[in-house]
Order: sequence, then structure tokens, then C-alpha cells
Amino acid sequence: MKRTRILLGAGLTSLALVAAGCSGGDADGPVELTFWHGYTEADGDVLEGIVEDFNASQDDVTITTELKTWASIDDTLLTALSAGEGPDLVAMPAERLPVYAARGAFAELDDFYADEASNTANLVPGAVDMIEVEGAKYGVPTGFVPLAVYYNTALFDAAGVTAFPETWDDWVATAERLTEDQDGDGTPEQYGVVLPDHATVANGLWPSLLYGNGGDLVQDGKAVIDSPENAETLQYWVDAINDRQISPTGVDGIGADELFSAGKAAMTVGGPWMASIADENGIDYAIAPLPAGPQDQAASAIGVSMAVTVDADDDARAAAEDFLAFFLDDDNAAAWSLGSGWPPLRTDVPADAVASNPVVASLTEIAPMGRPLLPGVVNSVDVLSAVDELTQRAVAGEDVATLLADAQDKIQKALDE
Amino acid sequence: MSVAEKSRRRLRELRPSTVLATLALLAVSAIVLLPIAVIVLTAFKPVAEVNAYPPSLLPDAWTLDNLRQITADLPFARLIANSFAFAGGVTAFALVFDSLAAYALARIDFTGRRVLLVVIIATLMIPFQATLIPLYQLVSDLGWVNTYAALIAPRAADAFGIFFLRQFFLGLPRDLDAAARIDGASEFRVFRSIVLPNAVPALLTLGLFTFVNNWNDLLWPLVFTTKAEMGTITSGLTLLTGPSGIVPHGVMMAGSLIAILPLVVAFLFVQRRFIENIATTGLK
Amino acid sequence: MSAEQSTTRRYRPPAPLGGRRRDGAGSRNAKALAFLAPALVVIGLFVIWPMLSALRLSFTDASGFGREEWIGLENYRTVFTDPDVFDAVANTVWYTVLFTPTAVIAALALALLLNSPHLPFRSFFRTALFVPFVVSFAVAAFAWSYLIDPRVGLLNYWLRGLGVQMGDVLQDPDLAMPAVAFVAVWKLFGFYFVIFLAGLQDIPTSLYEAARMDGAGPWSRLRHVTLPMLSNTMAFVLVFAMIAALQAFDQIYVMTGGGPYGNTQTVVMEIYESGFRKLDIGFASALSYVLLIATLLLSLVQFVFFGRKEKDLS
Repeated sequence: MKRTRILLGAGLTSLALVAAGCSGGDADGPVELTFWHGYTEADGDVLEGIVEDFNASQDDVTITTELKTWASIDDTLLTALSAGEGPDLVAMPAERLPVYAARGAFAELDDFYADEASNTANLVPGAVDMIEVEGAKYGVPTGFVPLAVYYNTALFDAAGVTAFPETWDDWVATAERLTEDQDGDGTPEQYGVVLPDHATVANGLWPSLLYGNGGDLVQDGKAVIDSPENAETLQYWVDAINDRQISPTGVDGIGADELFSAGKAAMTVGGPWMASIADENGIDYAIAPLPAGPQDQAASAIGVSMAVTVDADDDARAAAEDFLAFFLDDDNAAAWSLGSGWPPLRTDVPADAVASNPVVASLTEIAPMGRPLLPGVVNSVDVLSAVDELTQRAVAGEDVATLLADAQDKIQKALDE
Repeated sequence: MSVAEKSRRRLRELRPSTVLATLALLAVSAIVLLPIAVIVLTAFKPVAEVNAYPPSLLPDAWTLDNLRQITADLPFARLIANSFAFAGGVTAFALVFDSLAAYALARIDFTGRRVLLVVIIATLMIPFQATLIPLYQLVSDLGWVNTYAALIAPRAADAFGIFFLRQFFLGLPRDLDAAARIDGASEFRVFRSIVLPNAVPALLTLGLFTFVNNWNDLLWPLVFTTKAEMGTITSGLTLLTGPSGIVPHGVMMAGSLIAILPLVVAFLFVQRRFIENIATTGLK
Repeated sequence: MSAEQSTTRRYRPPAPLGGRRRDGAGSRNAKALAFLAPALVVIGLFVIWPMLSALRLSFTDASGFGREEWIGLENYRTVFTDPDVFDAVANTVWYTVLFTPTAVIAALALALLLNSPHLPFRSFFRTALFVPFVVSFAVAAFAWSYLIDPRVGLLNYWLRGLGVQMGDVLQDPDLAMPAVAFVAVWKLFGFYFVIFLAGLQDIPTSLYEAARMDGAGPWSRLRHVTLPMLSNTMAFVLVFAMIAALQAFDQIYVMTGGGPYGNTQTVVMEIYESGFRKLDIGFASALSYVLLIATLLLSLVQFVFFGRKEKDLS
């Protein structure tokens, strides 16, 4: 099994070498590449395995990985690249890629995508949107998954809920049923759902809710957040949170994960990491898509992208592209999906290839609902902080219409910069 | 008034206020030490208790799991060794270079003294984040990235230390070295044999300050070392953050405990000389 | 005769300036240079040079990746017109007002208390109060966040037992800033405390005896002997406390990330965000220089106000 994978990888690599016209037989020995990534869990081991297979599959390129956290990649990449000490390859949260690309940190990969041997033809389109900036492609996706609801099956059973809700109204009603104020002090001890109102997952959750009612944040480089649909959506959820107390307020994504893992929230909205967190905390869980809104059923996707930096010279860039093609080949696409717990990045990976991991299988079913968050938006920092302010203030009870008008101005200003 | 009478009067006078002051200090100390206690005690709590409600200060069941987890997650002897090399190296150099410069600024009347002092203090007022990129480019041009030199050399002298020691040297009486000067001692000799021995408490204070600040520095080792095995214990702790940013409290507290333990030990070791005598030597 | 007059008359700080009588200016300059050289090389190369580079960058649109264009005063124009910068300045001022007096007064009060020889457990208290200083900002922020966590926080739980609802302090737009300022007070006051303690021990006891003979009570002794004699120490502590306040970053980054909705976004947070998140190094450098100038001016004011007596020393 392993051997065929290596052989296949080697075959594809040599194809890629020929196609890219790369001088593989450089006299100075193999090209040495460094690769920074933030996969610190079991996914990291799988990624290291793919890198080792790649190194073993040919003699021309050796990749060394540096494990960091996603946050420290963001803290150190700029300084490292500014002095030519940066990695050749780097993985980062997908929404961070556009600003680096627009500022000239990454190599443009349009030729790579044009090449059939690169295995990019069947990539999930939404994932590819997230590596596109101003019409050019700057990386390959290493992860793309829509937010989904992770729910505590024991709490569902205890409350006698048998079917997962399919519409917003059902969802709110179910959440209300699962909310319990045991000591009657007005503050529930157990919440039906936890809807974070700022930071991390909240940045994807609220856009997802806006999509459900036909709204959006940004379209074709214009802020479109101040719309009647969005006002309706916000009011609907603010009322559900405040009047029906289905969720605590003032929580961020991390706090939401903690509440769910402590069994104090029956449902949370999150990504594949929730599966391992739930396992670690002994919570029996199941995964379901975000219930459909009045207009649409869609969820903002979380992505991770990998790019070739400006520190890679021509040889290193060609070598890095070889690795990217290897990473995206049939076997590795399936292996990476299984190992990382994220759905496959290629739409042509057959369902039975990932059936052995139930989390991946459920997420793969949901995958078509995923929409990229702010694709190609360079100043996503300011756009997301405007969304944060909007949702936090709305949940705190401020006037939705005024907040939306403010957010509209701030987002447009960020887009114009 | 006899001596006995006097002391009895003093006792009577002081008692209520002393008791009050002691109680106030106990309360303040309790608040000040509470987070420390939480770090130490949470480090020994099992995961379930760390996130339990109602919370409690003391663990019900003591566990070493968190500490074990740290040693499994981090190359932690190496990180501690790096921390000692980095913080210790900086401290050793800074004490020598700072005291030399402070001596000149305090006790030699050279041209441009005030201007130089202002320039040195002004370097403290620019945020570190602003000079990080040019500094990194310089260190990279020197070929120092991922070396101890990159960590230590840029901090081998620092404005705070120079200013701090200058203030102290100003306060040392002149008559101490007048005699030595009359005997024809050189400026360096006065510095080494008269001023430095009298400045031990200040040097200890500054040494502790410098050591602690560098040991605790997060961004510096994070930026100047890209390889995990060159990191420090403080920068290494960031690796404990889980996916999606969740920090496992128990493990992080165990890591924090390990990170602050050497500092507390070092501090307790020098504290007698440090706090009791901080500025008394040389004056009496 | 007031105690203050007797103070200024009796206490003459030692004249400094070694070798003034014997040597000429050239010889003194050469000697000074020899002493200063190592520190000047380090500071010149690793501090001043990067500062000058940053000054140059502040006139460009540099991202750090090699592409940069000279854009003159554009970044400075943005600094003075961007509402986000105004907010950050207002937040920084608020933080400084919360932090500096609290830390300095707490440190001074505790130093005065613990300078008294009659107190029991004196050395325990002195040690305990200094311990937070050895804890890193990251760890301090982490431990305090855990203590005041609205769900599992011990402090929150205890206060609830006393009938005080603290709520989610770090998400409260009014309380978040006091909370992050408090963590800085907790971490840093021990250092100022030690400096004050040293300053107090430097005051000759004869001054107190003289004041006592003049009939001055404890309050009057504090006002007319202790505080004037501490003015150098006070200037030192105030300037460094202010610099620490104006550069507030670490615990804010960990505890609130600048939130809720930008209410704890300080100038250095803004510099970090524009430099390392939006990769706008030119703007970050310009904002840093504006902060540098503002800090310098404020420090001069403090030195002039509190350090009047320093003229005697130099």
C-alpha cells in the first residue's frame, strides 16, 4: 500500500518535473526547502508523513518542516521574509493569504494551475477562491470545510429531541427546549446552543446566518452588509439569544468550544477540531449542517492555504510546485483528508475513500454548502473587526439599523484602502 | 523618661496602627499571591476539575498529568537551557556594559553628556514592534538568525540599565573615591575598586530585572529563532495552544509553573541582599 | 522654621564629576568615550540604527517584502486624520490614567508601610509584593483571565457568594480596560515598590529627627521630608511607569485582543495590527514615531516637574 503510494508519487513528480521544465539534475545536490505550518495535532503527523514520502520519492528535493502555531506564523513570517530568512513554503489560515499575496510575499501560481500534472483541476471551487487575489492564484488550499453544528447526543436524548432541526425556527425551538435554568435564577446552567458573538468562529457563524436569509457582507468588492435582509436576520437571532435565552452572550469561539466541551451547551457551531475536543472531554456528539434559513442553506467555510514565498528562488519554486502537485495527488488527497479530519480538497475523491472516518464522511456530505469567507479581500482584518463590533453590539441590545449603517461604512472604507 | 518607660509608651502608641497595617498588608499579599497560588494549584488539577463548576482553589485529586504532558509536548530541558543562556547572557553583558556607561554619565564631565543621556532615554520610548523589522534585517545580514548571538548581542547594553545605574552612581558620595584619586588611581580603577563594590545592591537589582525581563520575553525569541530547538521556555509555551486557539488550562499552568520556578528560586536566593540592602551600602 | 526649609538647607547632594579639577576637557572626553564605547556600539548598532531605518520606512509604503515607494508625509497625514488612531490614543490615555497613579501610589504606600522597622513579617511582605514581577505578562494575563472567567473563575465565584455580580469583565466595554490595567498594576507595582524602598532608605534619619524636634507630625513629615527627598526617585518611577503605560501591549493582546469592539485597542496594539496584520510597515513606523515624540515630551514635563532637585545632582 505504502509502496504503491510512493511509486505513484514518484511517477507524478517526474511528470511534473518534465512539464515544468525544471532542471532537476542540478549539480549542487538536492534543492532544500523549508516549510512552516501550524498543524500541531494528529493532522501534523499525517502532514509530516506526506512530506517524508515526498522526500523519499525523489532525489532532487528535500523538504524540512518547521512546526509553529498559526498565531506565531503570523507573528514571524513578515520579519523572516523581510530579511530573506523565510520559509519557501508556508501554510496559514486562508483569510490571511490575500494580504500577504497583495503585499508581494507570495509567488503567483497561475502557470502551476494551468498545468494538468498539478492535480488542481478538481479542487473544491470555494477553496480555490480563497487563494485568488486580484485575479491571480497565490497558493493551494490545504483545508476547506463549512462550519457545522456539533451537538451533544446525550443532552439531546435527555431532552427527548429525536430529530435534528432543519429550519431556523426549528433550530431556535429545539435550542430553547435544551436550555435549562435549574436553579431558577434567570441564568441558564445549560444552554441549547452557544452562538459566539465575536472573534474566531463568530466571524464565520454570523456571515453564515446572513447567507441563510439571502444576505452577504461583501459582493464584487462592495460592502453590502446594510440590507433589509441582514437587518431582519440580526434581529431574529438577537431576539432568540436575548428573549428566549437559547445562547449565552459575550462568548467568543474559544469560549464556545469550552462550554460545549464542558457539557454546558447542547450545540455549538464549529469546525472539525470540535470532534477531537469532544472526544477528549468524553462528549458523545454528532454533526449536522447549519439549519436552513428562509432563503438559503449555506455556511461560511474555514480554510487553510499553502503558498510559495518570495524567498524561494526559481529552483526552489519549481521544487515547491512539485511538492504541491504531490500533496494534491489522488492518494495524498484522500490520505490528508482522513488524517486531518477535514473533507477532501478534490471533488473527485470518491466517498468510499473517506468512509472510514465518520467525521470526514459527515463533513464531506455538508461540504457543498461551504462558501468562502471574504475571498480576495486584502484588508480582512478591518472587515472582520467591523463584523465583530456589529454582532457584539447587536447582541448587547443596540439598534440594529444604526449598527448596520456603521458597519457598512467601516467595511467599505476597509475595501477602499 | 526612662528607657523602659519609653519603649512601653511606644508599644502602646504603635499597637493599633501596627495591627491595622499588618492586616492591610496581609490582605494585599493575599490578593497579590492569589494568581500565583492558582497557577501552582491548577498545575496539579486533573482536566475535569480545571473546568469544573463550582471552582475550588485546591485540587480534590492531585495529578502529575499536566506536568507529564508538558515534557511530552516540549523539548523542555533544551528550552530551559536556552532560557538560561539567553537571559543569563544578556544579563552578564548588560551589567558590564551598562555600569561602564553609567559611570561615565554619572561621574565624568564630558562634552555632550546631557544630550547623550536624553538620546539614550529616548530609545526606550519607541515601541519595540517598530524597530523589529530593521533590527531583524540587520541580524540576518550578520548571519545570526537562529543563533544565541542574535538573542543576546542586541540586548548586551540597554538604556534602562544605564539610566538606572547612573542614578545610583550619582548618589554615591564623592569622598569615597577622592582619596583613591589623590593616590593617583586611574579612572578605571576608581570604577572597579571603589564604585562597583559599593554598587552591588543596585547591580543585583538591575541583574534580576534584566534576567527576569529577558527570561519572560515572548516575541524576541519567537522572532529571532525559527527553529523550535532554539526557542526559550517562554516562547515554547505558545506551542501548547491547541487547534482553534483553545488553551488547555491545566497544561498551560504547569508550563507556567515550570517557567516561573527558576525565577522565583533565583529571586529568593538574592532577595535578602536585594531588598534589605538595596541602596544602603556605600552610604553608611 | 518649617521642615522643608531645614531639608533643603541641610541636605546637599554630593557634587559628582570626577576628575574635574585635574583633567582638561579633552582628557575627560577620551576617558568617557572609553567607558561608553561598548554600550554605544551595542545601542548604536542594534537600537539607534533600526530606529533610523524605521524613520525612513515611515515615509514609505513598505510592506517588508522589498517593494516600497517614497510617499512623503502620507503616513503621518493618516496618523493625524484616522479615527481609529484617535480612538487608540484616547484608549491609551485612559489606560495611562488608570495604570500610572494606581501603580505608583500603591507602590509608594506599601514602601512607606514596609519601611517602618516595627512591622512584623516585614521581610515576608517585601518578598510577597515583589513576586508578581517575576511572572511574565503572558502568564499573568492567562492566570487573571482564568480567575475572572465568568463561568469557571474562582474570583467571580467568590464574589458571587458575597452577592457581587462581576459578570464577564473582559467583554464589558466599560470594565475591560480597568481589568487589563489592573493586571499591569499587579505585575509591575512590585518593582516600583522596591525602588521606592531604596529611595526611602537613602533619606538620612537625621532629617526626621530634626522635623520631629520642630514638632512635625507624621503627615507633615511625609509632606515636608519624605516626599521632597523622594522627588528624584519619584521622577524615575513616574517616567518609567508612564513609558510602560504608553507601550501597553502584552496582557491586552492575550486578554482582550483590543476588544470588546476596540475598547482596549491601545496605540501599540494599533501599531502591531497595522504592521503585523495588515503588513503596512510604513504606517506602523509613522505611528511609532508619533508615540515616541509624545512620550518624550511627557517625560520632559515630568522630569522638569518632579526632578527639579536633580539640577543639584548634575
